[in-house]
Amino acid sequence: MELVINGFRQELDVRTIQDVIAHFGLEGKPVVVEADGAVLTKEQWATAEVRTQMQIELVHFVGGG
Amino acid sequence: MKKDVWRIGNHELSSRFFIGTGLFPNPYVQMEAIKASGAEVLTFAIRRINLEATEDDSILQHLQGESYRYLPNTSGASTADEAVRIARLARASGLSDWIKVEISANERTLLPDPIETLKATEILVKEGFTVLPYLPDDPVMCKRLEEAGAAAVMPGGAPIGTGLGILNPYNIGLIVEEAKVPVIIDAGLGSVSDVTQAMELGVSGVLMNTPVAKARDPVGMAQAMRLGIEAGRLAYLSGRISKKRYASASSGFDEFKLK
Repeated sequence: MELVINGFRQELDVRTIQDVIAHFGLEGKPVVVEADGAVLTKEQWATAEVRTQMQIELVHFVGGG
Repeated sequence: MKKDVWRIGNHELSSRFFIGTGLFPNPYVQMEAIKASGAEVLTFAIRRINLEATEDDSILQHLQGESYRYLPNTSGASTADEAVRIARLARASGLSDWIKVEISANERTLLPDPIETLKATEILVKEGFTVLPYLPDDPVMCKRLEEAGAAAVMPGGAPIGTGLGILNPYNIGLIVEEAKVPVIIDAGLGSVSDVTQAMELGVSGVLMNTPVAKARDPVGMAQAMRLGIEAGRLAYLSGRISKKRYASASSGFDEFKLK
Protein backbone atom coordinates (compact mmCIF):
# COMPACT_ATOMS: atom_id res chain seq x y z
CA MET A 1 0.00 0.00 0.00
CA GLU A 2 1.06 3.60 -0.48
CA LEU A 3 2.34 5.37 2.64
CA VAL A 4 3.93 8.79 3.16
CA ILE A 5 7.07 8.17 5.18
CA ASN A 6 9.26 11.11 6.23
CA GLY A 7 7.59 13.16 3.52
CA PHE A 8 8.13 10.66 0.69
CA ARG A 9 5.54 8.41 -0.93
CA GLN A 10 6.47 4.76 -0.62
CA GLU A 11 4.77 1.63 -1.91
CA LEU A 12 5.35 -0.98 0.78
CA ASP A 13 3.99 -4.46 1.44
CA VAL A 14 3.41 -4.03 5.17
CA ARG A 15 0.62 -4.48 7.69
CA THR A 16 1.90 -2.89 10.93
CA ILE A 17 4.30 -0.21 12.07
CA GLN A 18 6.62 -3.04 13.16
CA ASP A 19 6.71 -4.17 9.51
CA VAL A 20 7.67 -0.64 8.42
CA ILE A 21 10.51 -0.60 10.97
CA ALA A 22 11.69 -4.00 9.72
CA HIS A 23 11.45 -2.90 6.08
CA PHE A 24 13.98 -0.14 6.67
CA GLY A 25 16.23 -2.31 8.85
CA LEU A 26 15.63 -0.19 11.92
CA GLU A 27 14.94 -2.95 14.47
CA GLY A 28 16.82 -2.40 17.69
CA LYS A 29 17.73 1.17 16.74
CA PRO A 30 16.67 4.19 18.79
CA VAL A 31 13.80 5.20 16.52
CA VAL A 32 10.66 7.11 17.43
CA VAL A 33 7.51 6.72 15.34
CA GLU A 34 4.67 9.12 14.74
CA ALA A 35 1.69 7.94 12.68
CA ASP A 36 -0.91 10.47 11.54
CA GLY A 37 0.21 12.85 14.27
CA ALA A 38 0.16 10.36 17.15
CA VAL A 39 3.35 9.19 18.83
CA LEU A 40 3.54 5.39 19.10
CA THR A 41 5.56 3.67 21.80
CA LYS A 42 7.65 0.64 20.89
CA GLU A 43 5.10 -1.61 22.61
CA GLN A 44 2.42 -0.39 20.20
CA TRP A 45 4.35 -1.01 16.98
CA ALA A 46 3.41 -4.68 16.53
CA THR A 47 -0.31 -4.02 16.87
CA ALA A 48 -0.49 -0.60 15.19
CA GLU A 49 -1.91 -1.31 11.75
CA VAL A 50 -1.01 0.98 8.88
CA ARG A 51 -3.51 2.15 6.31
CA THR A 52 -3.07 3.56 2.87
CA GLN A 53 -1.85 7.19 2.72
CA MET A 54 -0.87 7.11 6.40
CA GLN A 55 1.62 9.86 7.26
CA ILE A 56 4.46 8.21 9.13
CA GLU A 57 7.46 9.96 10.64
CA LEU A 58 10.53 7.98 11.67
CA VAL A 59 12.83 10.20 13.73
CA HIS A 60 15.91 9.88 15.90
CA PHE A 61 18.42 11.87 17.95
CA VAL A 62 21.11 13.69 15.96
CA GLY A 63 23.91 16.02 16.99
CA GLY A 64 22.70 19.42 18.14
CA GLY A 65 23.20 22.14 20.68
CA MET B 1 35.42 23.45 50.52
CA LYS B 2 31.87 22.08 50.42
CA LYS B 3 31.01 20.24 47.22
CA ASP B 4 29.52 22.80 44.85
CA VAL B 5 26.50 20.99 43.44
CA TRP B 6 23.29 22.29 41.91
CA ARG B 7 19.97 20.90 40.74
CA ILE B 8 17.67 20.79 37.76
CA GLY B 9 14.38 19.63 39.27
CA ASN B 10 15.40 16.77 41.54
CA HIS B 11 18.48 15.89 39.55
CA GLU B 12 21.77 16.82 41.21
CA LEU B 13 24.63 18.00 38.99
CA SER B 14 28.30 18.64 39.73
CA SER B 15 29.36 19.89 36.31
CA ARG B 16 28.13 23.30 35.17
CA PHE B 17 28.85 22.55 31.52
CA PHE B 18 26.08 21.38 29.18
CA ILE B 19 27.73 20.37 25.92
CA GLY B 20 26.11 20.13 22.50
CA THR B 21 26.77 17.23 20.16
CA GLY B 22 26.60 18.92 16.76
CA LEU B 23 29.34 19.94 14.33
CA PHE B 24 32.20 17.81 15.68
CA PRO B 25 34.66 16.59 13.05
CA ASN B 26 34.01 12.93 13.91
CA PRO B 27 32.55 10.74 16.68
CA TYR B 28 35.95 9.97 18.19
CA VAL B 29 36.87 13.64 18.67
CA GLN B 30 33.37 14.29 19.95
CA MET B 31 33.62 11.59 22.62
CA GLU B 32 37.08 12.76 23.71
CA ALA B 33 35.83 16.36 23.91
CA ILE B 34 32.80 15.31 25.95
CA LYS B 35 35.08 13.47 28.37
CA ALA B 36 37.46 16.45 28.59
CA SER B 37 34.55 18.81 29.25
CA GLY B 38 33.44 16.90 32.34
CA ALA B 39 29.85 17.53 31.19
CA GLU B 40 27.06 15.42 32.65
CA VAL B 41 24.36 16.77 30.33
CA LEU B 42 24.46 16.38 26.54
CA THR B 43 22.14 18.11 24.09
CA PHE B 44 20.72 16.65 20.89
CA ALA B 45 18.32 17.55 18.12
CA ILE B 46 15.48 15.43 16.71
CA ARG B 47 15.41 14.85 12.96
CA ARG B 48 13.90 12.52 10.39
CA ILE B 49 15.89 9.37 9.74
CA ASN B 50 17.50 9.34 6.29
CA LEU B 51 15.75 6.31 4.84
CA GLU B 52 18.33 6.10 2.04
CA ALA B 53 21.11 5.39 4.53
CA THR B 54 19.69 3.75 7.66
CA GLU B 55 22.88 1.80 8.26
CA ASP B 56 24.58 5.07 9.20
CA ASP B 57 25.49 4.85 12.82
CA SER B 58 23.38 6.58 15.40
CA ILE B 59 25.00 9.27 17.49
CA LEU B 60 23.78 7.40 20.56
CA GLN B 61 25.74 4.23 19.92
CA HIS B 62 28.95 6.01 20.91
CA LEU B 63 27.44 6.90 24.27
CA GLN B 64 26.35 3.42 25.29
CA GLY B 65 27.55 2.46 28.72
CA GLU B 66 28.06 6.07 29.78
CA SER B 67 25.71 7.74 32.24
CA TYR B 68 24.87 11.07 30.70
CA ARG B 69 21.67 13.00 31.10
CA TYR B 70 20.13 13.76 27.69
CA LEU B 71 18.67 17.15 26.87
CA PRO B 72 16.99 16.98 23.44
CA ASN B 73 16.04 20.30 21.86
CA THR B 74 13.14 21.39 19.68
CA SER B 75 15.33 23.08 17.07
CA GLY B 76 13.62 23.42 13.74
CA ALA B 77 10.39 24.52 15.41
CA SER B 78 9.05 27.99 14.67
CA THR B 79 5.80 27.67 16.61
CA ALA B 80 4.75 26.35 20.02
CA ASP B 81 2.78 23.53 18.37
CA GLU B 82 5.82 22.36 16.41
CA ALA B 83 7.97 22.45 19.54
CA VAL B 84 5.40 20.46 21.53
CA ARG B 85 5.29 17.85 18.76
CA ILE B 86 9.07 17.48 18.75
CA ALA B 87 9.15 17.31 22.55
CA ARG B 88 6.64 14.45 22.58
CA LEU B 89 8.68 12.57 19.98
CA ALA B 90 11.84 13.12 22.03
CA ARG B 91 10.22 11.78 25.18
CA ALA B 92 8.86 8.74 23.35
CA SER B 93 12.48 7.68 22.84
CA GLY B 94 12.42 6.69 26.50
CA LEU B 95 15.78 8.41 26.93
CA SER B 96 14.75 11.61 28.70
CA ASP B 97 11.84 13.73 29.81
CA TRP B 98 13.98 16.84 29.77
CA ILE B 99 13.39 19.18 26.86
CA LYS B 100 15.12 22.34 25.70
CA VAL B 101 12.40 24.45 24.13
CA GLU B 102 14.02 26.21 21.20
CA ILE B 103 11.69 28.09 18.88
CA SER B 104 13.33 30.29 16.28
CA ALA B 105 11.50 33.34 15.05
CA ASN B 106 13.97 34.28 12.32
CA GLU B 107 16.18 32.11 10.12
CA ARG B 108 19.02 34.60 9.91
CA THR B 109 19.38 35.31 13.62
CA LEU B 110 17.79 32.12 15.02
CA LEU B 111 16.68 34.34 17.90
CA PRO B 112 14.05 32.71 20.11
CA ASP B 113 10.39 33.67 19.86
CA PRO B 114 9.50 34.48 23.47
CA ILE B 115 5.71 34.30 23.02
CA GLU B 116 5.76 30.86 21.39
CA THR B 117 8.38 29.70 23.90
CA LEU B 118 6.09 30.65 26.77
CA LYS B 119 3.13 28.86 25.17
CA ALA B 120 5.12 25.68 24.56
CA THR B 121 6.56 25.75 28.07
CA GLU B 122 3.09 26.02 29.63
CA ILE B 123 1.87 23.01 27.65
CA LEU B 124 4.93 20.85 28.27
CA VAL B 125 5.07 21.59 31.99
CA LYS B 126 1.45 20.39 32.24
CA GLU B 127 2.46 17.20 30.43
CA GLY B 128 5.15 16.52 33.01
CA PHE B 129 8.26 17.46 31.06
CA THR B 130 11.28 19.04 32.72
CA VAL B 131 11.39 22.16 30.57
CA LEU B 132 14.51 24.24 29.95
CA PRO B 133 13.56 27.06 27.58
CA TYR B 134 16.09 28.91 25.44
CA LEU B 135 14.92 32.50 25.49
CA PRO B 136 16.07 36.09 25.02
CA ASP B 137 18.29 37.72 27.65
CA ASP B 138 15.28 39.53 29.04
CA PRO B 139 14.72 39.57 32.82
CA VAL B 140 10.94 39.89 32.49
CA MET B 141 10.63 36.99 30.04
CA CYS B 142 12.87 34.85 32.24
CA LYS B 143 10.58 35.54 35.19
CA ARG B 144 7.50 34.70 33.12
CA LEU B 145 9.03 31.39 32.04
CA GLU B 146 9.98 30.59 35.62
CA GLU B 147 6.39 31.27 36.71
CA ALA B 148 5.17 28.98 33.93
CA GLY B 149 7.10 26.15 35.56
CA ALA B 150 10.40 26.08 33.69
CA ALA B 151 12.98 24.01 35.60
CA ALA B 152 15.70 26.44 34.49
CA VAL B 153 15.87 29.46 32.22
CA MET B 154 18.42 29.59 29.43
CA PRO B 155 18.94 33.11 28.11
CA GLY B 156 21.14 33.51 25.07
CA GLY B 157 24.41 35.40 25.40
CA ALA B 158 24.34 36.19 21.67
CA PRO B 159 22.77 34.52 18.60
CA ILE B 160 23.49 30.79 18.19
CA GLY B 161 26.88 29.97 16.74
CA THR B 162 28.11 33.57 16.58
CA GLY B 163 30.72 33.37 19.35
CA LEU B 164 30.05 37.03 20.15
CA GLY B 165 30.01 36.41 23.88
CA ILE B 166 27.63 38.01 26.36
CA LEU B 167 26.19 41.03 24.58
CA ASN B 168 24.23 42.29 27.58
CA PRO B 169 25.95 41.39 30.84
CA TYR B 170 23.76 43.89 32.68
CA ASN B 171 20.63 41.91 31.76
CA ILE B 172 22.23 38.58 32.62
CA GLY B 173 23.15 40.01 36.03
CA LEU B 174 19.55 41.10 36.60
CA ILE B 175 18.21 37.72 35.50
CA VAL B 176 20.50 35.98 38.00
CA GLU B 177 19.47 38.33 40.81
CA GLU B 178 15.77 37.69 40.26
CA ALA B 179 15.71 34.01 39.31
CA LYS B 180 14.54 31.28 41.67
CA VAL B 181 15.50 28.56 39.18
CA PRO B 182 18.96 27.94 37.69
CA VAL B 183 20.09 30.32 34.94
CA ILE B 184 22.07 28.72 32.13
CA ILE B 185 23.67 30.83 29.42
CA ASP B 186 22.76 29.12 26.18
CA ALA B 187 24.19 30.19 22.84
CA GLY B 188 26.57 32.83 21.58
CA LEU B 189 29.60 32.12 23.74
CA GLY B 190 32.88 31.93 21.87
CA SER B 191 35.84 31.84 24.20
CA VAL B 192 36.98 30.84 27.67
CA SER B 193 36.83 34.49 28.74
CA ASP B 194 33.15 34.52 27.73
CA VAL B 195 32.30 31.51 29.90
CA THR B 196 34.34 32.85 32.78
CA GLN B 197 32.44 36.13 32.54
CA ALA B 198 29.15 34.21 32.50
CA MET B 199 30.08 32.31 35.64
CA GLU B 200 31.33 35.49 37.35
CA LEU B 201 27.90 37.00 36.69
CA GLY B 202 26.50 34.22 38.85
CA VAL B 203 24.80 31.92 36.35
CA SER B 204 24.47 28.28 37.37
CA GLY B 205 25.82 26.86 34.14
CA VAL B 206 26.56 27.32 30.46
CA LEU B 207 25.50 25.42 27.35
CA MET B 208 27.96 25.38 24.47
CA ASN B 209 28.41 23.51 21.24
CA THR B 210 29.99 25.48 18.38
CA PRO B 211 32.89 27.05 20.35
CA VAL B 212 34.08 23.57 21.28
CA ALA B 213 33.13 21.57 18.19
CA LYS B 214 34.55 24.12 15.73
CA ALA B 215 37.72 24.96 17.66
CA ARG B 216 40.95 23.90 15.96
CA ASP B 217 41.39 21.36 18.77
CA PRO B 218 37.96 20.55 20.19
CA VAL B 219 39.35 18.33 22.95
CA GLY B 220 41.74 21.01 24.17
CA MET B 221 39.02 23.63 23.99
CA ALA B 222 36.58 21.44 25.93
CA GLN B 223 39.08 21.19 28.75
CA ALA B 224 39.86 24.91 28.59
CA MET B 225 36.14 25.72 28.82
CA ARG B 226 35.79 23.40 31.78
CA LEU B 227 38.61 25.19 33.59
CA GLY B 228 37.13 28.57 32.66
CA ILE B 229 33.79 27.55 34.14
CA GLU B 230 35.48 26.37 37.33
CA ALA B 231 37.55 29.56 37.59
CA GLY B 232 34.55 31.81 36.99
CA ARG B 233 32.41 29.91 39.47
CA LEU B 234 35.05 30.05 42.18
CA ALA B 235 35.57 33.75 41.50
CA TYR B 236 31.83 34.36 41.82
CA LEU B 237 31.72 32.53 45.15
CA SER B 238 34.83 34.36 46.35
CA GLY B 239 33.55 37.88 45.60
CA ARG B 240 35.53 40.21 43.38
CA ILE B 241 36.70 43.64 44.52
CA SER B 242 34.70 46.68 43.58
CA LYS B 243 36.04 48.91 40.83
CA LYS B 244 37.71 52.21 41.79
CA ARG B 245 38.43 55.25 39.69
CA TYR B 246 41.93 55.92 41.07
CA ALA B 247 44.92 53.92 42.24
CA SER B 248 45.35 52.51 45.72
CA ALA B 249 48.77 51.12 46.65
CA SER B 250 48.95 47.47 47.63
CA SER B 251 51.87 47.83 50.05
CA GLY B 252 50.32 50.12 52.72
CA PHE B 253 52.55 51.42 55.53
CA ASP B 254 52.42 54.89 53.96
CA GLU B 255 54.01 56.54 57.05
CA PHE B 256 57.10 54.32 56.66
CA LYS B 257 57.84 55.32 53.08
CA LEU B 258 61.55 56.12 52.47
CA LYS B 259 62.06 59.83 52.14
